[in-house]
Amino acid sequence: MSRAMTKRVHKALADENLQTALTRLMGLIKFARQIAFTGIDFESLSKEIRRVKEKSIASLPQLVEQFKSKATEAGAIVYEAEDAEDANNYVLKLSQKHDVKHIVKSKSMLGEEIELREHLEQAGIKVTETDIGEWIVQLAGERPAHIVGPAVHKTIEQVAELISKATGQELGTDPQALLDAARSALRQTYIDADMGISGANIAIAETGTLTIVTNEGNGCMATTLPPVHVAVVGYEKIVSSWEDAAAIFRLLSRCTAGMKMPVYISHITGPSLTDAIPGSILHGAGGPGEVHIVLVDNGRLQMREAAEFREALYCIKCGTCLNVCPVFASLAGQTYGHIYQGGIGTVLTAFLHGMDNAEDIASLCLSCMACKEACPAGIDIPRMITKLRASLAEEKGLPWMSKVAYRGILKYPQRLDSTVKAGSYLLQPFADKDSMIRRLPYPLNSLTQAISLPAPTHQPIRDRLKNHWTPKEVGKPKVAFYSGCIAAYAYPEIGEDVINVIKEYGAEPYYPIGQACCGAPAFFAGDFDTALSLAKTNIAALEEMSPDYIVTVCPGCATVIQREYPELTTSEPEWNQRARAISDKIRDFSQLVLELEPSAEKKPSRNRKITYHDPCHLKRGIGISNEPRKLLEREGFELVEMADADACCGFGGHIVLDYPKLSAAILKRKLKNIEATGVDTVVTNCLPCVLQLRGGLDKIHTKTKVIHSAELLSKCREAT
Amino acid sequence: MAAAKKELVEKFKAEASRAGALVHEAVDAKDANNYVLKLAQERNVKHAVKSKSKVADKLNLRERLEKADIEVKETTLEEWITQLAGKKQAGRKTIKQMAELISKATGKKLNHDPQVLLNSANRAIKQSCIDADMGISEASVAIAETGTLVITSNSGDSRLVAVLPRIHLTVVDCENIVPTLEDAAARIKPLGKNKADGYISSYVTYITGRNTTADIPGAILARAQGPAEEHILLLNGATSNRGAA
Ligand code: SF4
Repeated sequence: MSRAMTKRVHKALADENLQTALTRLMGLIKFARQIAFTGIDFESLSKEIRRVKEKSIASLPQLVEQFKSKATEAGAIVYEAEDAEDANNYVLKLSQKHDVKHIVKSKSMLGEEIELREHLEQAGIKVTETDIGEWIVQLAGERPAHIVGPAVHKTIEQVAELISKATGQELGTDPQALLDAARSALRQTYIDADMGISGANIAIAETGTLTIVTNEGNGCMATTLPPVHVAVVGYEKIVSSWEDAAAIFRLLSRCTAGMKMPVYISHITGPSLTDAIPGSILHGAGGPGEVHIVLVDNGRLQMREAAEFREALYCIKCGTCLNVCPVFASLAGQTYGHIYQGGIGTVLTAFLHGMDNAEDIASLCLSCMACKEACPAGIDIPRMITKLRASLAEEKGLPWMSKVAYRGILKYPQRLDSTVKAGSYLLQPFADKDSMIRRLPYPLNSLTQAISLPAPTHQPIRDRLKNHWTPKEVGKPKVAFYSGCIAAYAYPEIGEDVINVIKEYGAEPYYPIGQACCGAPAFFAGDFDTALSLAKTNIAALEEMSPDYIVTVCPGCATVIQREYPELTTSEPEWNQRARAISDKIRDFSQLVLELEPSAEKKPSRNRKITYHDPCHLKRGIGISNEPRKLLEREGFELVEMADADACCGFGGHIVLDYPKLSAAILKRKLKNIEATGVDTVVTNCLPCVLQLRGGLDKIHTKTKVIHSAELLSKCREAT
Repeated sequence: MAAAKKELVEKFKAEASRAGALVHEAVDAKDANNYVLKLAQERNVKHAVKSKSKVADKLNLRERLEKADIEVKETTLEEWITQLAGKKQAGRKTIKQMAELISKATGKKLNHDPQVLLNSANRAIKQSCIDADMGISEASVAIAETGTLVITSNSGDSRLVAVLPRIHLTVVDCENIVPTLEDAAARIKPLGKNKADGYISSYVTYITGRNTTADIPGAILARAQGPAEEHILLLNGATSNRGAA
């Protein structure tokens, strides 16, 4: 995280126009996504895309050869460019050869990546963007804010001003009038242009065909009216067949625009031809006589070689990962500082623009996994970002503070206990009577800006539950309680609730005394050594009494133990086996209760309404979202769903520490949705979420309560 | 019509309409011609352009519109030249005859250089597409799954006719409706007849519904940069009997 990035983040958060535009955009996207994805089997369609892309990238060298030979046979001229400079120079030379004065360009992310337009403009050639959004951004002298909607950060007033100025008319803010003006201004540019530049969404090897998708129709005109057409195409766009392309079409527009199909798909194979004039077949009949295809590497082939990052090449540039990203919804694309934004942008930037550039963007990830869940190519973006952080940590070392924290304290449970205890006394003077810390002095003041914090306990959970560290009764299912740090140090009483409630369900809970931090902070920062060491400590502690289940109250820990411990130990088979055994036993609290008592009857209504917040790592980490709801309803509560129940609360990643203002903005949306339910109790099965939501609600002085299921059930039992 | 066939047509109609196209299924050739004429008159169409279409030719659609004082210009080179030559001068032309025809049409004295002739013809054809109120195309394949029209050709006029005028009408023989994108792919791959074996047409344009944009804040607006209206005229074997002109 650099100062420059913090500055950009703050600027975006304070920009009212931007925030207005983003709120509107997110509403539109939500609406479009609802329409686009009802009634289809997203999972199987996305699996198809995944299959096609995996296969294509695996056989890329052969496909490139096939594409080249077929396209050449059809009369196109294919050039392979190593990098941006190479590609730009090719296009510039070609323009000069044809004495090109005016170019029309349809949208191309690769064009943005290599800054093709700027390169041509510097040589005195006029280049007009023809996608209306891209044109608006060009008029504003900016870079696109979103890979699909370049001008999504603009308000109608700003757009009106730009189009008025460009067309020399006084236009109001009527969208239709603005569109009409844009259409006629652009129409003339196609007619005047000597060259058309496009990208390609897909390139089909079996026929040497370029496939260009637009909804506005600009792609058709820019590639047909001018006498020369140049397409810049990244290697990763090549697929084998028309059938493979069909698999991509089935989801592409649903993701980009909420439409079943793109309006126009242009398949272009070589230049236009005619045999109507006696003699030979002539090129250039009602369309370009020359078609040039510039295949661009610019870091892609290296990405293909890097096993952990290869899947970034499966990206079909649909923009979904931006549309569902809570950070993007607060900042828009320009804040990222590079052309590829959001989750996938982090990985692409690292390879296409250099590792140095990725560090800042990686710091903007909440690790909420919303992008992974929604990506039509099934790309595990959060995992790649973690790997990227690991490479950065390896290359540059961790910041010294993190090093001390992870390697000197986190690794040793007793040391961590005493550190927190010492801290709890130090912080005591800042806590109010109700044990909430509402204001901290500089330099910690930013931490309490958006949320109030619970005062750390003087008596960590290990001290409280040490009598529970061996199961006592035989014959009952043994349940090891893995608390995680937030329960251990902030909410030890909720840990006690877990033990009490589970006992009532006829199981024998206990607290494995040797447990340590799960390692998530180190893991997500890319410190895999510390993470591995903690994994071993916990595996040993958790397997000791051979539990039947391991119950957790922190889905972040559950995800790390269930998914990452087996991964972290792959090179040590014995540990790996033990990790897998532990992994299978991990349960969320609600999941465990339902398993212990699968056929309990629904309790009579308590006449009490509650709403439920889906923790990111519970829903998308270990796949639990129905169980908590089912348990609550079985217990007689009436569930009122909030909007976007599964959107991140803003606690994820290091955002809450690195960019507290950003975290606050994300939290604000969540609190609004909670408020809109009109319900006074929010249940969530994640203690970090409890911390964030309680802290946020405390700041805005509402009476709404935030409670973990275990706590709620325990309270109900006390009351009866 | 077999039940399966009918279902396919219905599916195509439903999907194309959902995407914003206006679909009419003609009962016979006469109905088809009347439909297009009425549309053109209602929309105040004075100039139309038409890219190569066997279906429209069998209907005598151009003649029908011309009779009603609507100018219809062919845009595919061979048809354009045939139209210039008129009925008296049928058959394939020599280069000399072509030079004469094109010179006359463009008002410039052109020599017999094929490239020069082609360039002049291109300019004239493009200009008529730019000036036209209505474009008429034929889809060689239509996809029921998505309501998509597939327009194939080796020359670019097929694309200009489809996007430049404010109204676009595509005629489709129901025989050419296929169920899925994959079925369409199988039909398209061997379509290019003018090139050496194994090639497909230079242009295969898929059009699904009406063009839109979400780039102007406030709403998703119809008619971005293409036509305001996308019409589809379906014909059932109407190509076998001649249209009543
Ligand atoms: S990573 Fe996935 S969701 Fe993001 S743009 Fe690429 S394909 Fe779309």
